[in-house]
Amino acid sequence: MKRINLSILQTISVKSMLGGFCIILLLGLSGCLRLDDNLFNPNVTKITEYKLDNYTGDLDFRLDASYQIPDSLIHVFQLPSQAPDETSATLIYGLYIGNIDSIASDTVIMYCHGNRDHMDFYWQRAKLLANTKSKNRFGVMMIDYRGYGLSEGKPTENGLYADADAALKWLKNKGLTNDRLVMYGFSLGTAPAVKLSAEDFSMKPSKLMLEAPFASAEVMIQDASGLAMPAAFFTDLKINNAEEIKKVQQPFFWIHGEADDFLNINTHGAVVYNNYNGTYKEAHRIPNAGHGNIPNTFGFQNYLNAVGNFITMH
Amino acid sequence: MKKNPFLLICITAYLFISALSSCSPIKFIKPLEKNQNAAGVSLGGALIKYGTATIPIPFLTADYGYGIDSTLTGFGSFNITSALFGNFQLELGAAKQLLKQNNYFPAVSITPSVNIIYRNTDAYKFYPQLAFNAFWEYGKHKNFVYISADNWFELAQKRAHELKQPNHWIFMPTIGHSFTGKKWNFNIEAKIIAPNLSNQNLVVEYQTPLKKRGALGIFLGYTRKF
Repeated sequence: MKRINLSILQTISVKSMLGGFCIILLLGLSGCLRLDDNLFNPNVTKITEYKLDNYTGDLDFRLDASYQIPDSLIHVFQLPSQAPDETSATLIYGLYIGNIDSIASDTVIMYCHGNRDHMDFYWQRAKLLANTKSKNRFGVMMIDYRGYGLSEGKPTENGLYADADAALKWLKNKGLTNDRLVMYGFSLGTAPAVKLSAEDFSMKPSKLMLEAPFASAEVMIQDASGLAMPAAFFTDLKINNAEEIKKVQQPFFWIHGEADDFLNINTHGAVVYNNYNGTYKEAHRIPNAGHGNIPNTFGFQNYLNAVGNFITMH
Repeated sequence: MKKNPFLLICITAYLFISALSSCSPIKFIKPLEKNQNAAGVSLGGALIKYGTATIPIPFLTADYGYGIDSTLTGFGSFNITSALFGNFQLELGAAKQLLKQNNYFPAVSITPSVNIIYRNTDAYKFYPQLAFNAFWEYGKHKNFVYISADNWFELAQKRAHELKQPNHWIFMPTIGHSFTGKKWNFNIEAKIIAPNLSNQNLVVEYQTPLKKRGALGIFLGYTRKF
């Protein structure tokens, strides 16, 4: 009987050790997987230089020659970006379409691009916006967030806001005033677009335009799981356009594809739109459009008319 | 937007699978003998399309069971995958045999359980589950084949931003086989996870016989009895 008990004790001891080892291992690994870093999706197609019209990677659409911008009005440059909690600046890349010398009198669309790739991927979209109303009537500013394209650093949530704000500082230094600044965000870019419209940064945009916005990290998790799970199970990201939009008072333009299979129009875009309590809002639900093809599905001219009318009439 | 790295696909799939499948992919269907202990691991996951290949999502749990009596086994399952995300996820439950096998009429058991997920005081969930099982023993080793109707319940009425929570019942029909040794069990199991829910508009493309609904999961389990 004693032998049996000893055997059991030895077995339990070995099992306990193994169990303890496993628990220590698990605690060590605990939390090592988070969605945060993997939500950012820069440089699917890596680049060594910005090629813009000569870029041969995947695109959502390519514009014909009628939308061409003269080389003299295309400016690619570096600018420093520093978040409040950082001790040094990160060099990011920016692109301005228009005459830099006339920023002091022009209206400028600050275009915050989406999650994929870099400015080469979004060049067609920025170029399209530069054709709003008429060619180069509005200046267009675009940046590659840190970690995207040739910008230094690694993508972070605070980095998105700091980088977009760095672009605003650059524009402000060139003479842009709040009343001539229009903020435009697409997909992930709606996060800095809303944040910088809602809170105090270097400039206060006069209008906010969102294309295929997401509501919050919570909705992304809940759409993916089908259940009312807290986002904190998987991510520490605090991005929450659905709440931030409540602070926005500027006129607001929303456009979303009804067939968006990445950010559902009802659980994401409509929530943001409905939560807006500012002075003016307009919605454009585009039938048959998915996440990345609103301008071409809507029709480039229809899209430009909607954008242009909002900017000039409100 | 859909060209996400593999890890993102795995993680997104994990969201769907971990949320919609139980903490323990393979449950106790047939109770243990009285005072018998069992410890094991389960591995497997839903099949997704990745590039041109179909691959399972890795999903790992550690399980322990104890035979309270010959018809009732208590068990707990610790979700290792969830722990890698920094969450404590535990399933606690019991398997109760209600009917014995009578020739071709199967033995019947039920498996009520609760699934607890805790990250911090602001992020925790509690999901009740209930599985109805039927199993047929055969041969001298008492291997058995089983079918199960597993049900997961979402109690929340609201989801983020005060939207109505659309799904309250997730159903998982399951078929499996257990190879039984004196000191071990080896299980293989296939289940359709949430055939009542659309699998569209997700980053992941699931491989399922139902095309636009649910996900097909393949799971393996090894249990050591002592």
